[in-house]
This record gives sequence, structure tokens and C-alpha cells, in this order.
Amino acid sequence: MTFQWSIIADSIPSLIEGARLSWYIAITGILGGLVLGTVAGLMRIAGTKAVGGHTFGFARVISRFCQITAFCYIELIRGTPIIVQAMFIYFALPMLIEVTTGVRGVRFDAVTAAVITIMINAGAYMAEIVRGAVQSVNKGLIEAGMAMGISKLQLITSIIGPIAFRRAIPPLGNQFIISLKDTSLFIVIGVGELTRQGQEIMASNFRALEIWSAVAVCYLIMTSALALILRLIERRMRKI
Amino acid sequence: MKPIIEFKDVSKSFGSTEVLHNISLTINENEVIVLVGPSGSGKSTLLRCVNGLEMVTSGDLVVNGIHLPREKGRVREIRKEVGMVFQLFFLFPHMTALENVAFGPRKVRKVSRREAKEIAHDLLEKVGLGDRGHHLPSELSGGQQQRVAIARALAIKPKVMLFDEPTSALDPELREEVLNVMTLLANEGMTMMVVSHEMSFAKKAGTRLLFMDNGRIDEDGEPSELLLNPQTERLQNFLRHVGY
Repeated sequence: MTFQWSIIADSIPSLIEGARLSWYIAITGILGGLVLGTVAGLMRIAGTKAVGGHTFGFARVISRFCQITAFCYIELIRGTPIIVQAMFIYFALPMLIEVTTGVRGVRFDAVTAAVITIMINAGAYMAEIVRGAVQSVNKGLIEAGMAMGISKLQLITSIIGPIAFRRAIPPLGNQFIISLKDTSLFIVIGVGELTRQGQEIMASNFRALEIWSAVAVCYLIMTSALALILRLIERRMRKI
Repeated sequence: MKPIIEFKDVSKSFGSTEVLHNISLTINENEVIVLVGPSGSGKSTLLRCVNGLEMVTSGDLVVNGIHLPREKGRVREIRKEVGMVFQLFFLFPHMTALENVAFGPRKVRKVSRREAKEIAHDLLEKVGLGDRGHHLPSELSGGQQQRVAIARALAIKPKVMLFDEPTSALDPELREEVLNVMTLLANEGMTMMVVSHEMSFAKKAGTRLLFMDNGRIDEDGEPSELLLNPQTERLQNFLRHVGY
């Protein structure tokens, strides 16, 4: 048996199609996850000194509510496998909606379910990254800002945010790559992403060596592209 | 003489530990107060109460007409009139020196970008760093960073300046450049509260020396007189320790 390059050449069109879908799911999911993660990460530490001091009265109740909500979300997602989450969103969520609200026939197509899964899953991990980055900002800088009489919002957007963002880039990059590779799991809900395309070609010609090599290289190209983008962002920012 | 800061029977506790005991103190405009005392005596806490970085637990602290803790919702109004300089500078690391100084006018005083830049440039000039505006804090020496920090605090045009051990993280030769700027400010009539063990500064620029110990103000008087004639044994010992 020899390594047949022609097999790879023949499979390129469908692999590219799969890779495009994987890339789309990953990027949409990651961007959504970034928003969700930032919100959840900030909620997780709402009203603490890390975001400009303790709160009193009604604001304290709100802060506490935010903290608990974010905590539950993060622990729920980190504590369950992503494949179960995908299955739940695709198969179980429509039933849950029917059971709880009586609305029938709510159903996501597989790609939407995949995007939502990546979003929710990556969001939980990114929330912890955001929390860690924000909490790592020197308390003295926060006090220096507060001492000038700026608002908490200004404090977060002008001082804590930019500093925390720089710190968060390396671990966020890590999570981006993990999420991109996690899209291969959506084979279980029938999304025609890269791994599934590979699986289908394989099933027709049994050339496992060529196909899985090609699939691996496709993932490698995508993760490298993602890493490169992050490196460029990091380089564009001032060293601090 | 117009009082600008008044402590009326003010106490401050962290949990069950009381660190300021029934402080009563009136500070008038144009006074330059130097606070000395052993570590843990409450001088930094006293300073931080003035701009509400620590909220007083009981009593009445009036700063520029606003009463703490009663009106703690208005603490930002106080902070806009009270500049603060920290021991470890705490310049915003992602902004250049000029941006650090322009930040307050832009965000707090809401002046235009161009005007903020002009204010910042003039203040950097004043602290002797007119040519360092485009440098990041990490590219400046400790003394330069502290002078930028003073310019940053001055940029919001405060009525009072608080200095929390502004020179104790600096080499002896860098202290001088910071103390010179502070002396300049004092001579211009800025109301200042300075926690510092720089006795030469206290004598040269200070109008009043406070000695704190165990959360109380033990001595309060004219600096050179008090340094020459410390009333309490505690102050005599303390002065020996700081090598004066």
C-alpha cells in the first residue's frame, strides 16, 4: 500500500467545504462567546474591589444576584462535557421548551445548535479568563483612577478594560483554538463540518491514512491562522 | 483662614480593629500639613479618608463642604477637588505620560481633546518633563514617574493635594526632584496633606507638623519648632529612629 496523493486531491473540494463550515461555526461561536464571557466574567465579580469598590444597599443585592447567576452558569458549563451540551441543545432543548411553555415545534437546525453550543461553552471558560485578567489589574491603579473622581463605567472602559484585555489575550487565544477544534464534535448532531466530511469520504473509499492526514492538516492551518491573528493583535498593542 | 477639611470626632475601623480614634482636626486653605508617625499609626488611613478611598466609620468629616459618611453618595464630587499622589506612582501603564496627565481633564472635567493635551503639556513642563510626554511609564525613572503622577493629579485642578509617602519608593537622588516639585506647589499656596518622613521638606515647606501614633494625633504644631522641641517622648523617640 502506498500513500496516494490523488486521494487527497480528489477529496479537497469537500474538505474545504467542511473546513469553511467549521471555521464559520468556530468564529461565530467564539465571537458570541467572547461577548457572553465578558459579561459573565464581569458579573462574576460585580460590586467587588476589582471593578471599583464595594457597593451598598440595592446595588449590593443586584451585584450579588449577578455573581450567583454567573457562578451557576460557569460551573454548569465547565462541569458537563461539550458533547452532552450539544446533544442537549439540539435534541433536548426543543422538548424542554415544549414541556415548560407548551410551545411546540421550536427547533434549531444543526448548525445553529452548533454555534450556540460553542458560544455557551467558550463563554463559560472565557468568563473565568476575563475574571482572572480583571482581578490581576493592580488595585493601586484602580484607586488612582477612583481618586480622580471618574465613574465606575469610565474606570472599567478606560483603565481596567484595556489593561485586563492585554493580559487576557494569551489565555483567550488558547480558548479560541480549543473551541475551533471542539467543532469536530458536532459530527454527533450531523453538522457537515470538517471531521464529518472526512468521515464520509473515508466511509466511501476506506483511505483512512490519506483522509485523516488531510483533515489534520486542515485543522492545523485553521488553528495557525487563528494564532497568527491573535499574535498580530498582541503586537499592535503597546507593551506595558 | 478658611477651613477646607474638618475632622469632627472621626473614627475609622477595619472590621473590629479601630485604626483612627476620635480624630478632630481642622485644615485651612493654603496649609501644608506634614503627617509623620510610625507605621500602622493611621497616617495613610487618615489621608485616604479625606477622598473617601476609605469611608470613615463614625463622626463627621467635612471636605469642601461635603459631609462624610452622611453624604457618601457625593464622594466623587470630593475626589474631583482632591488630587492624590501614591507611594508607588500608579501611572496608567497603557498610556503615555501625556495621556496620563490629559486623562483627568478629558474624563473628569470634560474638556476637549486638544485642550486636555495643552493642559497636560503645560503641567509636564511645570514638573520638568516637557520632553517626556510621549514616553510610557515603563520608560521613565521612578522620580520621573512620580512627577508625572503629580502632574496627573494637578490636571483636574484640585483644591487640595494628598501625598501618601511620595518619596519612600525612590532613591535618595530621585527624591530631591520630587520634593522640589512639591515645594514649588507649597509655595504657590496649594493646600497639601503629606504623609512623609522627609523632615527637611517639613521644615522647608510645611506649615504644620502632625505626629500620629496609635490612631491619634499626639502632636500638632509648627514644624521647625516641633522638631526642635518635641513635647512627647514618643515623638522624641520617633525622630531618633528616622535619623533626625
